[in-house]
Amino acid sequence: MPTARPVATVTLRSAEFRRTREAAWRTLDELISRVERKGLSHLSADELQELPLLYRTAASSLSVARSIALDRNLILYLEGLVLRAFFVVYGPRTGIMEALAGFLKHGFPAAVRKAGWHILLATLALASGVAIGFMLVLPNEGWFGVLVPETLAGGRGPASTAQQLLDTEIFAPWPGIVDSFVVFANFLFRHNATIGIMTFGLGFLAGVPTLLLLGYQGIVLGAFFALHHNRGLLYDFVGWVSIHGVTEIGALILCGAGGLVIAENILFPRRHGRLDSLALAGKAAAGLAGGAVLMLFVAGLIEGGLRQLIASTPWRLVIGAATGILWTAYFLLLGRREGHGPAA
Amino acid sequence: MARQLDRINRLLDESTRNRREITTPEGVVLEVDIANRGERLVAFLMDFLFWMLATALLFLILSLTLVHGVSGSVTVTIVLFLSFLLRNLYFIHFELHSQGATPGKRIVNLKVVDRHGGPLLPGAIVARNLTREVEIFLPLGLFFALPKLDGSGDFWAAASYLGWAAALSALPFFNRDHLRAGDLIAGTMVISVPRRALLTDLAEGGSRYVFSRRQLEAYGAFELQVLEELLRRPRSKETQAMQQQVCDKICRKIAWAQKVEPAEVPTFLKAFYTAERAHLEGEQQFGRYRADKNATAATHT
Repeated sequence: MPTARPVATVTLRSAEFRRTREAAWRTLDELISRVERKGLSHLSADELQELPLLYRTAASSLSVARSIALDRNLILYLEGLVLRAFFVVYGPRTGIMEALAGFLKHGFPAAVRKAGWHILLATLALASGVAIGFMLVLPNEGWFGVLVPETLAGGRGPASTAQQLLDTEIFAPWPGIVDSFVVFANFLFRHNATIGIMTFGLGFLAGVPTLLLLGYQGIVLGAFFALHHNRGLLYDFVGWVSIHGVTEIGALILCGAGGLVIAENILFPRRHGRLDSLALAGKAAAGLAGGAVLMLFVAGLIEGGLRQLIASTPWRLVIGAATGILWTAYFLLLGRREGHGPAA
Repeated sequence: MARQLDRINRLLDESTRNRREITTPEGVVLEVDIANRGERLVAFLMDFLFWMLATALLFLILSLTLVHGVSGSVTVTIVLFLSFLLRNLYFIHFELHSQGATPGKRIVNLKVVDRHGGPLLPGAIVARNLTREVEIFLPLGLFFALPKLDGSGDFWAAASYLGWAAALSALPFFNRDHLRAGDLIAGTMVISVPRRALLTDLAEGGSRYVFSRRQLEAYGAFELQVLEELLRRPRSKETQAMQQQVCDKICRKIAWAQKVEPAEVPTFLKAFYTAERAHLEGEQQFGRYRADKNATAATHT
């Protein structure tokens, strides 16, 4: 039977270490729990100032604990605490509005400027599609039904006469504000966004489907050109397309360029390795696609609402050219100087 | 050290989580648990539910306020467009606002982090969420927009949409970090951050048992930490039986002469834990870390 009173006192450096630091850890824990529940804005100015200091204390505590302590619970607790504090201290500081504004001001135009070659390649794919579609349909309009799906043709085809095309398509009456701006614009936006995002997403499959899809969109457009050319309506049709088409086709090309950026980094990883180089370029690529979706939204509004309101080909061409100039200026001029903010 | 804790996790929790190291800007290496696919699915389904509820609420409000003068198709169009916006803004807003955790992720303790331990930038959050549109919502939306499965052309279109969604959803099964396409693009990964409480220190200053150096040299850090877990278990018949068993084993191993009464077992084990930890930590400070009872003291930690 052992004696009832202590016969040995053991001093543990790790226990001593814990006693002196524990209060700071608990304070940090409490602060972080509050940030996790309610967000950073609920901390007072003093607490905000204290946070990084407490975080560094906890981080150094963890390093010490790892080398002197064998208390498993202590080490696991500190690892969790430092990790959670790390997210708060290095977490995103911007709200969604700031992030979006930063993206529009810097991220999107910068991403476009960086992807010059990809944009050129995407444009070439689309242009060659237009040429092929035009060449095929011009001598033989039978190709039109083969190349253009029913839903896109919308009743237009080899059987249409010039007068029909003028009345129901190019100078069709304006359907009214609600139907044109809300219903039709939205339908067009969703249809175009679907195609744009697909062009981008298919970049994962090494980019070939991206180019094919771009080429196909070009073929459809070329087929329409040929159909109208044969009826002497090419000038009016170009006006009809250009008012929204500059924005829409630009967006499509940017989506495709984004897909090609991804494809390039999958096929030809640079010195960082495939995953890392994908991660480096991916943000810019997704920025291209995201910005392009916004452009498509604008295009949808112009196409659904404005186009039929302006029933004059010269004016349509002027607006189309103006949108082209505006987009170019936006991409080339904005966000050049301030390169030090968080990359959006 | 990390591998050491891993081994105990495997023994005690039977967990086989994948772990990765990230290095904070201060140079502290942190081990993080990669989130399970199951956890991520649960988190996604919860977010999906929240989003659906928000959309339904929106629809309700719109249909109540816009009843006069506006046709049904216009309402549907507005709701479709707003739900598209809502879906994209929901994930981006919450991942920005609460340090990489949407409400669904917060419930299952998941977080989005930069794969290399850098700060999580808004660009990365936007990128990983835009890609979700390509991965899941777009193909599923196209699938449900198909009129009916009668023509063979429609069948192939439906199959390709579903196949695209399935292939991209299956991506997390084919890499060790369980990354989906959006994570690949944005350079992020999803980790599990379980909340742990700091429990009281088991080591006690005073002890009425004295152990010799020879006796303490019987074990290493692994056994010590398993003993710690045993002592931290909630009191129950089962725990008592296990502690009795372990106590007998220790007594045999270190040739403890006196008999330990059943009522004294927890006290004895605690005393042994304290002494063993003091011994091993002391040795470790001299650069003689001992991983387990089979290891000879290594000179590195």
